[in-house]
Amino acid sequence: MILHTINKVSALGLCSDLIAEDDKVILLEDGVYLGLQSLPFPIFAIRQDVDARGLGDRLTEQTELIDYSVFVHLSSEADKVCSWF
Amino acid sequence: MNFAIVVHGAPYSSEACLSALKFAKAVLASGHSINRVFFYHDGVHTANNQIAPPQDEAPVSEQWQEFGVGNNIELIACIASCLRRGILDETEADRYEKSGSNLAPGFTISGLGQLIDASINADRVVTFGV
Amino acid sequence: MSTILFVFSRPPHGSINAQEGLDALLMGSAFTTCSVLFVGDGLMQLASGQSTDDLGTKNFSLGFGALKDYGVTRIACSKPDLVARGLNKDDFLIEVESLNAAGMQALIHDHDKVLNF
Repeated sequence: MILHTINKVSALGLCSDLIAEDDKVILLEDGVYLGLQSLPFPIFAIRQDVDARGLGDRLTEQTELIDYSVFVHLSSEADKVCSWF
Repeated sequence: MNFAIVVHGAPYSSEACLSALKFAKAVLASGHSINRVFFYHDGVHTANNQIAPPQDEAPVSEQWQEFGVGNNIELIACIASCLRRGILDETEADRYEKSGSNLAPGFTISGLGQLIDASINADRVVTFGV
Repeated sequence: MSTILFVFSRPPHGSINAQEGLDALLMGSAFTTCSVLFVGDGLMQLASGQSTDDLGTKNFSLGFGALKDYGVTRIACSKPDLVARGLNKDDFLIEVESLNAAGMQALIHDHDKVLNF
Protein backbone atom coordinates (compact mmCIF):
# COMPACT_ATOMS: atom_id res chain seq x y z
CA MET A 1 0.00 0.00 0.00
CA ILE A 2 1.34 3.41 -0.96
CA LEU A 3 0.38 6.62 0.79
CA HIS A 4 -0.01 9.53 -1.64
CA THR A 5 -0.12 13.12 -0.43
CA ILE A 6 -1.56 15.89 -2.61
CA ASN A 7 -1.08 19.54 -1.69
CA LYS A 8 -2.73 21.35 -4.59
CA VAL A 9 -5.61 20.68 -6.95
CA SER A 10 -3.43 20.69 -10.07
CA ALA A 11 -1.26 17.90 -8.65
CA LEU A 12 -4.11 15.41 -9.04
CA GLY A 13 -3.37 15.28 -12.75
CA LEU A 14 0.11 13.97 -11.97
CA CYS A 15 -0.98 11.03 -9.90
CA SER A 16 -4.58 10.04 -10.51
CA ASP A 17 -3.50 7.17 -12.81
CA LEU A 18 -0.96 5.99 -10.26
CA ILE A 19 -3.29 5.55 -7.30
CA ALA A 20 -3.98 1.83 -6.94
CA GLU A 21 -7.08 0.36 -5.33
CA ASP A 22 -5.51 -0.30 -1.97
CA ASP A 23 -3.49 2.92 -1.83
CA LYS A 24 -4.42 5.76 0.50
CA VAL A 25 -4.55 9.48 -0.30
CA ILE A 26 -4.10 12.43 2.05
CA LEU A 27 -5.07 15.93 0.98
CA LEU A 28 -3.21 18.72 2.71
CA GLU A 29 -2.69 22.46 2.26
CA ASP A 30 -4.48 23.67 -0.89
CA GLY A 31 -5.01 20.02 -1.85
CA VAL A 32 -8.00 19.91 0.51
CA TYR A 33 -10.00 21.74 -2.16
CA LEU A 34 -10.07 18.39 -4.00
CA GLY A 35 -12.45 17.31 -1.26
CA LEU A 36 -15.10 19.45 -2.93
CA GLN A 37 -15.08 17.03 -5.88
CA SER A 38 -16.22 13.47 -6.11
CA LEU A 39 -13.07 11.39 -6.55
CA PRO A 40 -12.76 7.74 -7.57
CA PHE A 41 -10.93 6.86 -4.37
CA PRO A 42 -11.43 7.48 -0.66
CA ILE A 43 -9.55 10.46 0.74
CA PHE A 44 -8.26 11.77 4.01
CA ALA A 45 -7.92 15.52 4.49
CA ILE A 46 -5.92 17.38 7.11
CA ARG A 47 -8.50 18.95 9.41
CA GLN A 48 -6.46 22.08 10.18
CA ASP A 49 -6.18 22.85 6.47
CA VAL A 50 -9.90 22.19 5.92
CA ASP A 51 -10.87 24.45 8.86
CA ALA A 52 -8.48 27.21 7.78
CA ARG A 53 -10.21 27.30 4.41
CA GLY A 54 -13.77 27.18 5.78
CA LEU A 55 -14.48 23.90 4.02
CA GLY A 56 -15.76 21.89 6.96
CA ASP A 57 -19.38 21.65 5.78
CA ARG A 58 -18.61 21.65 2.12
CA LEU A 59 -16.54 18.52 1.53
CA THR A 60 -17.92 15.33 0.03
CA GLU A 61 -18.91 12.53 2.38
CA GLN A 62 -16.02 10.39 1.16
CA THR A 63 -13.55 12.85 2.74
CA GLU A 64 -12.40 11.75 6.17
CA LEU A 65 -10.87 14.51 8.29
CA ILE A 66 -7.69 13.57 10.10
CA ASP A 67 -4.98 15.23 12.14
CA TYR A 68 -1.23 14.86 11.81
CA SER A 69 -1.02 11.89 14.19
CA VAL A 70 -3.16 9.90 11.74
CA PHE A 71 -0.96 11.15 8.87
CA VAL A 72 2.03 9.73 10.75
CA HIS A 73 0.19 6.46 11.40
CA LEU A 74 -0.80 6.10 7.73
CA SER A 75 2.80 6.83 6.71
CA SER A 76 4.09 4.05 8.92
CA GLU A 77 1.43 1.59 7.69
CA ALA A 78 2.24 2.29 4.05
CA ASP A 79 5.18 0.73 2.21
CA LYS A 80 6.27 4.20 1.13
CA VAL A 81 5.01 7.76 0.78
CA CYS A 82 4.70 9.55 -2.57
CA SER A 83 4.22 13.32 -2.39
CA TRP A 84 2.53 15.13 -5.28
CA PHE A 85 2.81 18.90 -5.57
CA MET B 1 9.76 3.78 12.90
CA ASN B 2 12.34 6.29 11.71
CA PHE B 3 11.37 9.17 9.42
CA ALA B 4 13.31 11.43 7.06
CA ILE B 5 11.49 14.67 6.31
CA VAL B 6 12.24 16.84 3.29
CA VAL B 7 11.10 20.46 3.10
CA HIS B 8 11.03 22.32 -0.20
CA GLY B 9 9.15 25.47 0.76
CA ALA B 10 10.17 28.72 2.42
CA PRO B 11 8.26 30.05 5.43
CA TYR B 12 5.23 32.09 4.37
CA SER B 13 5.83 31.67 0.63
CA SER B 14 4.55 28.13 0.99
CA GLU B 15 2.64 26.16 3.58
CA ALA B 16 5.09 23.28 3.17
CA CYS B 17 7.39 24.62 5.86
CA LEU B 18 4.58 24.72 8.43
CA SER B 19 3.02 21.40 7.40
CA ALA B 20 6.39 19.68 7.70
CA LEU B 21 6.83 21.04 11.22
CA LYS B 22 3.40 19.77 12.28
CA PHE B 23 4.24 16.39 10.81
CA ALA B 24 7.62 16.32 12.52
CA LYS B 25 6.03 17.10 15.89
CA ALA B 26 3.43 14.39 15.34
CA VAL B 27 6.19 11.89 14.49
CA LEU B 28 7.82 12.42 17.88
CA ALA B 29 4.50 12.59 19.74
CA SER B 30 3.61 9.22 18.23
CA GLY B 31 6.76 7.70 19.68
CA HIS B 32 8.64 7.46 16.38
CA SER B 33 12.01 8.99 15.59
CA ILE B 34 13.36 11.42 13.02
CA ASN B 35 16.52 10.60 11.09
CA ARG B 36 16.97 14.19 9.98
CA VAL B 37 15.05 17.02 8.36
CA PHE B 38 16.54 18.15 5.04
CA PHE B 39 15.71 21.57 3.69
CA TYR B 40 16.07 21.87 -0.10
CA HIS B 41 15.09 24.35 -2.82
CA ASP B 42 13.46 27.37 -1.16
CA GLY B 43 13.10 25.37 2.05
CA VAL B 44 16.56 26.60 3.02
CA HIS B 45 15.06 30.04 3.73
CA THR B 46 13.74 28.45 6.94
CA ALA B 47 17.34 28.55 8.16
CA ASN B 48 17.66 32.34 7.84
CA ASN B 49 18.23 33.94 11.24
CA GLN B 50 17.12 37.36 9.95
CA ILE B 51 13.42 36.44 9.72
CA ALA B 52 11.32 38.84 11.84
CA PRO B 53 7.63 38.21 11.21
CA PRO B 54 4.86 40.38 12.67
CA GLN B 55 3.94 39.37 16.20
CA ASP B 56 0.54 38.07 15.18
CA GLU B 57 2.02 35.68 12.60
CA ALA B 58 3.40 32.22 13.31
CA PRO B 59 7.19 32.44 13.73
CA VAL B 60 7.76 29.27 11.67
CA SER B 61 11.54 29.56 11.39
CA GLU B 62 11.86 30.10 15.13
CA GLN B 63 9.52 27.17 15.78
CA TRP B 64 11.75 24.93 13.64
CA GLN B 65 14.81 26.12 15.58
CA GLU B 66 13.13 25.33 18.91
CA PHE B 67 11.99 21.95 17.60
CA GLY B 68 15.43 21.00 16.34
CA VAL B 69 17.35 22.16 19.36
CA GLY B 70 14.77 21.01 21.90
CA ASN B 71 14.57 17.48 20.48
CA ASN B 72 18.15 17.12 19.26
CA ILE B 73 17.01 16.65 15.66
CA GLU B 74 19.39 17.39 12.78
CA LEU B 75 18.08 20.23 10.63
CA ILE B 76 20.19 20.27 7.48
CA ALA B 77 20.03 23.02 4.87
CA CYS B 78 21.49 21.98 1.50
CA ILE B 79 24.66 23.93 0.79
CA ALA B 80 24.04 24.41 -2.94
CA SER B 81 20.49 25.66 -2.33
CA CYS B 82 21.77 27.89 0.49
CA LEU B 83 24.47 29.53 -1.59
CA ARG B 84 21.99 30.30 -4.37
CA ARG B 85 19.60 31.88 -1.89
CA GLY B 86 22.01 33.72 0.40
CA ILE B 87 21.85 31.55 3.49
CA LEU B 88 25.39 31.38 4.79
CA ASP B 89 27.19 30.09 7.85
CA GLU B 90 30.44 31.76 8.90
CA THR B 91 32.58 29.42 6.82
CA GLU B 92 30.68 30.08 3.62
CA ALA B 93 30.40 33.83 4.33
CA ASP B 94 34.21 33.96 4.66
CA ARG B 95 34.75 31.75 1.62
CA TYR B 96 32.62 33.95 -0.61
CA GLU B 97 33.66 37.19 1.11
CA LYS B 98 30.12 38.11 2.03
CA SER B 99 29.28 40.75 4.63
CA GLY B 100 27.88 38.35 7.19
CA SER B 101 26.49 34.96 8.04
CA ASN B 102 22.82 34.38 8.73
CA LEU B 103 22.41 30.72 9.54
CA ALA B 104 19.87 30.24 12.34
CA PRO B 105 20.76 28.24 15.45
CA GLY B 106 19.87 24.60 15.24
CA PHE B 107 20.56 24.41 11.50
CA THR B 108 23.63 23.03 9.76
CA ILE B 109 24.63 23.62 6.14
CA SER B 110 25.63 20.41 4.43
CA GLY B 111 25.52 18.52 1.14
CA LEU B 112 22.94 16.56 -0.80
CA GLY B 113 24.58 13.41 0.47
CA GLN B 114 22.73 14.02 3.75
CA LEU B 115 19.40 13.84 1.90
CA ILE B 116 20.36 10.60 0.20
CA ASP B 117 21.80 9.10 3.39
CA ALA B 118 18.61 9.92 5.29
CA SER B 119 16.44 8.57 2.47
CA ILE B 120 18.34 5.28 2.45
CA ASN B 121 18.50 4.77 6.20
CA ALA B 122 15.11 6.02 7.36
CA ASP B 123 12.11 3.71 7.23
CA ARG B 124 9.99 6.37 5.57
CA VAL B 125 10.71 9.59 3.65
CA VAL B 126 8.02 12.25 3.51
CA THR B 127 8.47 15.30 1.27
CA PHE B 128 6.66 18.58 1.77
CA GLY B 129 6.84 20.22 -1.65
CA VAL B 130 5.76 23.46 -3.19
CA MET C 1 20.43 -0.88 0.68
CA SER C 2 17.26 1.08 -0.04
CA THR C 3 16.66 1.89 -3.69
CA ILE C 4 15.26 5.29 -4.62
CA LEU C 5 12.89 6.35 -7.38
CA PHE C 6 13.14 10.02 -8.27
CA VAL C 7 9.95 11.49 -9.72
CA PHE C 8 10.35 14.71 -11.67
CA SER C 9 7.20 16.72 -12.40
CA ARG C 10 8.50 20.26 -13.03
CA PRO C 11 9.41 21.80 -16.37
CA PRO C 12 12.96 23.13 -16.74
CA HIS C 13 14.11 26.74 -16.49
CA GLY C 14 10.95 28.28 -15.03
CA SER C 15 12.51 27.66 -11.65
CA ILE C 16 15.73 26.09 -10.40
CA ASN C 17 13.75 23.17 -9.00
CA ALA C 18 14.19 20.87 -12.00
CA GLN C 19 17.95 21.45 -12.01
CA GLU C 20 18.19 20.84 -8.27
CA GLY C 21 16.18 17.65 -8.76
CA LEU C 22 18.77 16.39 -11.24
CA ASP C 23 21.54 17.27 -8.77
CA ALA C 24 19.81 15.11 -6.17
CA LEU C 25 19.44 12.22 -8.63
CA LEU C 26 23.13 12.33 -9.55
CA MET C 27 24.07 12.39 -5.87
CA GLY C 28 21.66 9.54 -5.16
CA SER C 29 23.16 7.37 -7.86
CA ALA C 30 26.55 7.68 -6.15
CA PHE C 31 25.08 6.03 -3.04
CA THR C 32 22.55 3.47 -4.17
CA THR C 33 20.45 2.09 -7.00
CA CYS C 34 18.29 4.90 -8.37
CA SER C 35 15.79 5.27 -11.17
CA VAL C 36 13.93 8.28 -12.47
CA LEU C 37 10.37 8.79 -13.68
CA PHE C 38 9.33 11.95 -15.54
CA VAL C 39 5.66 12.88 -15.27
CA GLY C 40 3.51 15.84 -16.28
CA ASP C 41 5.49 18.87 -17.38
CA GLY C 42 8.58 17.13 -16.00
CA LEU C 43 8.79 15.39 -19.39
CA MET C 44 9.87 18.72 -20.87
CA GLN C 45 13.18 18.48 -18.98
CA LEU C 46 14.15 15.88 -21.59
CA ALA C 47 13.27 17.93 -24.67
CA SER C 48 16.09 18.01 -27.17
CA GLY C 49 17.36 21.29 -28.58
CA GLN C 50 17.30 23.29 -25.35
CA SER C 51 19.51 26.37 -25.72
CA THR C 52 19.99 28.75 -22.81
CA ASP C 53 22.83 30.87 -24.25
CA ASP C 54 20.67 33.94 -24.80
CA LEU C 55 18.72 33.43 -21.58
CA GLY C 56 22.05 33.34 -19.77
CA THR C 57 21.17 30.42 -17.51
CA LYS C 58 22.70 26.99 -17.16
CA ASN C 59 21.64 24.37 -19.69
CA PHE C 60 21.47 21.58 -17.13
CA SER C 61 19.70 19.30 -19.65
CA LEU C 62 23.20 18.34 -20.82
CA GLY C 63 23.49 16.47 -17.51
CA PHE C 64 20.87 13.92 -18.57
CA GLY C 65 23.42 12.43 -20.95
CA ALA C 66 25.38 11.27 -17.89
CA LEU C 67 22.57 9.36 -16.19
CA LYS C 68 23.60 5.98 -17.62
CA ASP C 69 27.25 6.60 -16.72
CA TYR C 70 26.17 7.44 -13.18
CA GLY C 71 24.42 4.10 -13.04
CA VAL C 72 20.83 5.28 -13.01
CA THR C 73 19.02 2.04 -13.59
CA ARG C 74 15.76 2.96 -15.28
CA ILE C 75 14.88 6.21 -17.02
CA ALA C 76 11.17 6.33 -17.67
CA CYS C 77 8.38 8.72 -18.51
CA SER C 78 4.61 8.68 -18.40
CA LYS C 79 3.22 7.52 -21.74
CA PRO C 80 -0.16 9.22 -21.21
CA ASP C 81 1.58 12.51 -20.42
CA LEU C 82 3.84 12.08 -23.48
CA VAL C 83 0.83 11.55 -25.74
CA ALA C 84 -1.12 14.40 -24.14
CA ARG C 85 1.70 16.77 -25.09
CA GLY C 86 1.85 15.54 -28.67
CA LEU C 87 5.38 14.27 -28.12
CA ASN C 88 7.15 11.04 -28.80
CA LYS C 89 10.44 9.60 -27.62
CA ASP C 90 12.26 11.09 -30.63
CA ASP C 91 11.73 14.50 -29.05
CA PHE C 92 13.98 13.55 -26.16
CA LEU C 93 17.70 14.03 -25.53
CA ILE C 94 18.18 10.50 -24.23
CA GLU C 95 16.59 7.10 -24.51
CA VAL C 96 13.58 6.85 -22.21
CA GLU C 97 11.11 4.04 -21.52
CA SER C 98 7.53 5.23 -21.80
CA LEU C 99 5.25 3.57 -19.31
CA ASN C 100 1.52 3.27 -18.98
CA ALA C 101 -0.15 3.56 -15.58
CA ALA C 102 0.49 -0.08 -14.66
CA GLY C 103 4.14 0.25 -15.63
CA MET C 104 4.55 3.40 -13.54
CA GLN C 105 2.83 1.77 -10.56
CA ALA C 106 5.18 -1.20 -10.88
CA LEU C 107 8.20 1.14 -11.05
CA ILE C 108 7.09 2.85 -7.85
CA HIS C 109 6.56 -0.53 -6.17
CA ASP C 110 9.97 -1.75 -7.29
CA HIS C 111 11.79 0.95 -5.30
CA ASP C 112 11.99 1.30 -1.53
CA LYS C 113 11.71 5.08 -1.35
CA VAL C 114 10.32 7.84 -3.59
CA LEU C 115 11.75 11.35 -3.76
CA ASN C 116 9.50 13.78 -5.58
CA PHE C 117 10.85 16.95 -7.18
